[in-house]
Amino acid sequence: MTSREKILSSIASNKPSLVSLPNVPIFEGDGSVERFKTVLESIGGTAVELTTKSECQEAIDKYYHDLVNIASDIVNANVPINLATTKEILEQVDLAVIQGEIGVAENGTIWVPESNMLNRALPFITQHLVLVLDKKNIVANMQQAYDKLEGVDSYGVFIAGPSKTADIEQSLVIGAHGARSMMVLIY
Amino acid sequence: MNHQNHPELAEAFNKDFERTTWHDETLWFVRQKRDKAVYPIPEFQDLRTLASEIKDHTLSNLDNYLIEFEQNAIKNGVKVHWAADAAEHNQIVMEIIKSSSKVEGRNPRLVKSKSMLTEECHLNGFLENNNIDVVDTDLGERIVQFRNEPPSHIVLPAIHLKKEDVGETFHVHLGTTKGEKDPQILTEAARQHLRGKFVAADVALTGVNFAIAETGSFVVCTNEGNADLGVNLAKVHIACMGIEKIIPKLHHLSVYTRLLARSATGQPITTYTSHFTKPAEGKEMHIVIVDNGRTQQLGRADFRASLKCIRCGACMNTCPVYRRSGGHSYDFTVPGPIGAILSPNIDLHKHKSLPFASTLCGSCSDVCPVKIDIHVQLYKWRQIVGQANELTAAKKWGMKGMAKVLSMPKVYDLSGKLARGALRILPHGLTHNQSMNPWAKARELPDAPKQSFKEWYEENRQ
Repeated sequence: MTSREKILSSIASNKPSLVSLPNVPIFEGDGSVERFKTVLESIGGTAVELTTKSECQEAIDKYYHDLVNIASDIVNANVPINLATTKEILEQVDLAVIQGEIGVAENGTIWVPESNMLNRALPFITQHLVLVLDKKNIVANMQQAYDKLEGVDSYGVFIAGPSKTADIEQSLVIGAHGARSMMVLIY
Repeated sequence: MNHQNHPELAEAFNKDFERTTWHDETLWFVRQKRDKAVYPIPEFQDLRTLASEIKDHTLSNLDNYLIEFEQNAIKNGVKVHWAADAAEHNQIVMEIIKSSSKVEGRNPRLVKSKSMLTEECHLNGFLENNNIDVVDTDLGERIVQFRNEPPSHIVLPAIHLKKEDVGETFHVHLGTTKGEKDPQILTEAARQHLRGKFVAADVALTGVNFAIAETGSFVVCTNEGNADLGVNLAKVHIACMGIEKIIPKLHHLSVYTRLLARSATGQPITTYTSHFTKPAEGKEMHIVIVDNGRTQQLGRADFRASLKCIRCGACMNTCPVYRRSGGHSYDFTVPGPIGAILSPNIDLHKHKSLPFASTLCGSCSDVCPVKIDIHVQLYKWRQIVGQANELTAAKKWGMKGMAKVLSMPKVYDLSGKLARGALRILPHGLTHNQSMNPWAKARELPDAPKQSFKEWYEENRQ
């Protein structure tokens, strides 16, 4: 008997009789831009509201004028990134500006599917991360977020603020391994 | 090796009074953060009930969900492996690493994000003995790896250490300035050190927080981003999961993602909630599904609910015994109340003292996001330890003696009288003798009253 068969047959003989699966309701809640911004700021992120998406370039020029290597398919970029980009080039990226799909007001998180990442490693290896988000796509909570999600792509991540750790004496430090800062441009 | 029990190891931890107090207060602070994160969610109790019921359902149909998960994962281009126990798990992981990363003239390099399952299987030592370089990338885990210690908490692996300890460890291993203890500077040193490891890695290993039968995807939650950074830079991804990590549908994640981080650290959600479904172009993804005693626990009706655990650590942060005895005193991969109900299933003889490492106050059950009846199970394990004749002699005979006294009212009255008299007459050094009365090690007995409540009541009843 293979281990697979052994495990499955052991489960079959040890499991309890079938218990029904509950229905998960779509809970109501506050899905306002205001709440999203407040929560995002409480977890170390920054939110900036724009009138239109076309103002992204202006915002990047204003807040990140000191950063050199920029990767993006939304604003002017000088580091072209694709699936074949080497680790050595990815490592040099100072700022990545990419599209976020769904924002969640309750926890400040944003869904980023692989198709928006340019390269799977980019949102994590970049020193600073900017996600661009349409305010129409802000929902109240995770039930509403998964309800809105059409699929999970090959890979996708809910990102909530910059990389952080409190592993040394519970002192919060922003910028563990991933992005040192995270800004959301909301239009 | 002579195995030490929980009271002995806890006593050693308690020798440093200041550190014990600090440990207690730090974890209580995390528990308070949990409360602040939980109370504003109006449906939090509904979410706990749903989380519990979804897991109950899943366990009652676990074989079919595992098959569904496997079929979908294979369709997604993922290779699925099954391991009956820790040894087989370790062997599988080693073979994947050796066959997929053929490197000349050096050891294959593995970066790992946090996985309690691989701790349970003692994977690191096994791989190192087989010439594979293993780097734990979670900051807390890297600290304890440098120190050659196991994690002392499942979410906060280095919570037993002070920043001075970490500073000294990093001075030795990373060359930071001697005496440097600023968490910001130490974290930056680890970031620089580990970036090099991420870029150089051949294989990345992660744990699994949730595996979704419906899509064949699995979810990994981190705050640091170390799982994603490792996986997305290496050619091969190995994800190791216990059979109990399955949930039926993608939308069930909406329940667990609202509970996990709030219960664990008081954050609204972990920074990264990563959904892995298909390997990237030209890369490999493997899933190792592990039993290692879990199907046996599934067969124990009183204890199967322990398999619902989502490893948030809330029961540890709230536990008055864990907070004052430290994670290492449990001498098991998962410490605290949940560890004390998981460990006797693995080795009752070795872990027989753990179900007693509790006041049975029930705080663990109150904070558990999947509503495991932890304190009830602790109580039930005590019965099994007793039936298996594994109680210490003092406890066994003490219990037997007490049972006799309590079953005979006259003897009970007389013993009470004698004890009250003796306490008044005998010298403090004798009544509080620590080998005869271990209860008095850190406590003072109250002054003995002249009469019992029963006597007082007889005199004063109207």
